[in-house]
Amino acid sequence: MSQSTLSRSLRYGWRSLFSRRIYVVCIIVVPLLFTLFFINMMDEGLPLKVPTAVVDLDQSELSRTVTRNLAAGELTDVSMKLDSYHEAVEAVRSGKIFGFFYIPDDFQQKAFSGQQPTISYYCNLTYFVPGSLAFKGFKTTAVTTTGGLVQTTLVSTGMEDGAVAALIQPVSIVQQQIGNPWTNYNYYLTNSFVPGVIALMVCLVTAYSICEEMKRGTSPEWLRRSGNSMLVAVVGKLMPQAVIEIIVGVGCQAIMYGFFHFPMNCPAWHMILAMVLMVFACQGFALTVCCAVPNLRLAVSICSLVSILAFSIAAFSFPVQQMYGAVGIFSYILPVRYYFLIYVDQALNGIDLYYSRFFYVALLIFPLVGLIGLPRLKKHCKNPVYVP
Amino acid sequence: MNWLATLLRVYRREFRLVFSDVGVMLFFFFLTIAYPLVYTIIYNPETLTDLPFVVVDHDRSEQSRNLVRMLDATQGMKVYDYAPDLPAARDILNSHDAFAVLEIPSDYGNRLGRGEQGVATFYSDMSLLLRYRTFLTCLTDVQLAAGAQIQQQTLDDLGLIGQSISGAPTGSEAYWLGDPTQGFASFIIPGILVLILQQSMLLGTTMLAAGGSERRRRNGGVDPLAVPAGSLTTVVGKVLCYVTLYLPVCVFVLFIVPRIFSLPHIGELTDYMLFILPLLIASGCLGITLSVFVKERESSMLVLVFTSVVFLFLSGLTWPRYAMNGFWQLVGDAIPATWGVEGFIRLNSNGALLSANSQPYIMLWVLAGIYMFTAVLTTRYLYPTCRHS
Repeated sequence: MSQSTLSRSLRYGWRSLFSRRIYVVCIIVVPLLFTLFFINMMDEGLPLKVPTAVVDLDQSELSRTVTRNLAAGELTDVSMKLDSYHEAVEAVRSGKIFGFFYIPDDFQQKAFSGQQPTISYYCNLTYFVPGSLAFKGFKTTAVTTTGGLVQTTLVSTGMEDGAVAALIQPVSIVQQQIGNPWTNYNYYLTNSFVPGVIALMVCLVTAYSICEEMKRGTSPEWLRRSGNSMLVAVVGKLMPQAVIEIIVGVGCQAIMYGFFHFPMNCPAWHMILAMVLMVFACQGFALTVCCAVPNLRLAVSICSLVSILAFSIAAFSFPVQQMYGAVGIFSYILPVRYYFLIYVDQALNGIDLYYSRFFYVALLIFPLVGLIGLPRLKKHCKNPVYVP
Repeated sequence: MNWLATLLRVYRREFRLVFSDVGVMLFFFFLTIAYPLVYTIIYNPETLTDLPFVVVDHDRSEQSRNLVRMLDATQGMKVYDYAPDLPAARDILNSHDAFAVLEIPSDYGNRLGRGEQGVATFYSDMSLLLRYRTFLTCLTDVQLAAGAQIQQQTLDDLGLIGQSISGAPTGSEAYWLGDPTQGFASFIIPGILVLILQQSMLLGTTMLAAGGSERRRRNGGVDPLAVPAGSLTTVVGKVLCYVTLYLPVCVFVLFIVPRIFSLPHIGELTDYMLFILPLLIASGCLGITLSVFVKERESSMLVLVFTSVVFLFLSGLTWPRYAMNGFWQLVGDAIPATWGVEGFIRLNSNGALLSANSQPYIMLWVLAGIYMFTAVLTTRYLYPTCRHS
């Protein structure tokens, strides 16, 4: 008996899912398009050739060498040669360049006469990534220029080449970037923002589809069809969505890790399991919201609010450990945070599953929390009131 | 004269509709006041400090200890623990207690003593690039400083050229423009503020329009609350209402918020307001245009919320626009916030004048014109009842 009500409820949920174009768009088209948008937009991996300028007031042999070194670097593209500091700042302000390298007019004279000339470089950090890359390029040039001068001086005093090299840079710290040695921004951002969008859409569609029954006054009918069991009603509605969402989610993973060869240093099922659990966790999260606030507009508002803030609080760019404690603590109530931690451990770093065990368990808790509120939801389903 | 009277009626009716709708007021006023504060509070620590790293010191010499001490003394890094070997260090990393390992080989001190280059290896976790950037900055600084120390000593020992080559023959100085503290909030919040203005406007206006189409569905195609007016009058009246409501909001969001949190704020209020005006008009008209896709009040969120992320990226704040391909640049060109973010950042953080921002400013007016046109078309063909006055 109850099995047939469940299967009837599931069939109804499946049909109503595909009867609304907006659901199909939200859970199939949006995540897939978003994945392709990201991968295609950040195709290059690192935005090299930052547009920059050189202000060379010296125009000497030495200053031209420095300019040539700068232009030869892969990080910066010397797209302008300007004649004054003022002009360069104006170019920064109008967005033509992200930084400039300034060589004073007594550069060569001072360098050769043993007084210390100063090169300065300016980077516009209102755009973090190009600003930082310009800085790196400028700094490298400044250091190698210095190194070159020392080398010339020392060799001319009769020191041998090998000793000079060690003297110019006595300490070298070699950097090994675990998991992403290319500092590829595509790998970094796509891996966190795509699950973020999937989580957002799952939450919204879950909250919308449950509370819509109450807005339209069809919730008593929905409940009756499910043998008066809220659990059967909810499972019947959410399970078909979950199936589609999981297929789409794994599809997005396949696009990233399969077709575009994003680093994945773990067995595929670790990530697939994380995706499956995240979809259910997001449904559980949205269900909890619906039980607490059984009103279509408020429930969907809360879900949007939280899911959009999740992009920041789940710490895809700024680490939780460095946030204020009272803010960082909210990262623990976001399913996508646990997915992100699993991705870091498994796909990026490829460490033992043992270290990520709690993140999987945490994802399992969300659906259970959602179930606690079902009696309350049932009460509201029996007497639906629509508040615009 | 008659036209003006109708316009005024549309304008006043729209005010009534806004203030009788809690959902819309939530978007127009709560969102625009709460989000800037919440976002800035999240990022307010600005810079990363004392990031824990593990040391594997195979050398245990004076020089290796000195290197570790110098790293520990930087603002960005802190020694979490010493580990006997790499697997042990790896275990600490895997348990999420530290984010990097410094391995110093056993010949580090000896090599330095022999006048050779001392090489250490630094393994960094790459899950967050901001963390990696902080490590990188500290390492580079320490590498240069430790190098200079040793260089000085070697030269002194050799008795070479003494004074003339003290330290480096050329000095270099780095300056950060726009965000001199290198803070994360100072970088991202000015852009987010503009995006919040556009998105809250889009959400509110589409919800209002969807409320209208719900009323029409209930009343056999007629919206009892709509003022009979031509489509241009309707659009202009509505947008004027939104702009009126948003001007005080803009003062708070663009002018006061950066001051509350001491984010960069070196622009003029009049420049801000003049600059943001076409963005408000363009967003309002874009909202009316997008209402084609929104049939129910609540579905505005389903359709629009995720676009915030898309628009954030199209604006070039995280991934610069010069590195996007032509197609995405073109799509970004069509979004008011793209130009709004670009122009506002320059006004607010770089201290540019409005005259240096002519490109984004003109583009915003062009978009305002284009979306005004599409909004009139939408109003005319979607709601033919509004047409006859």
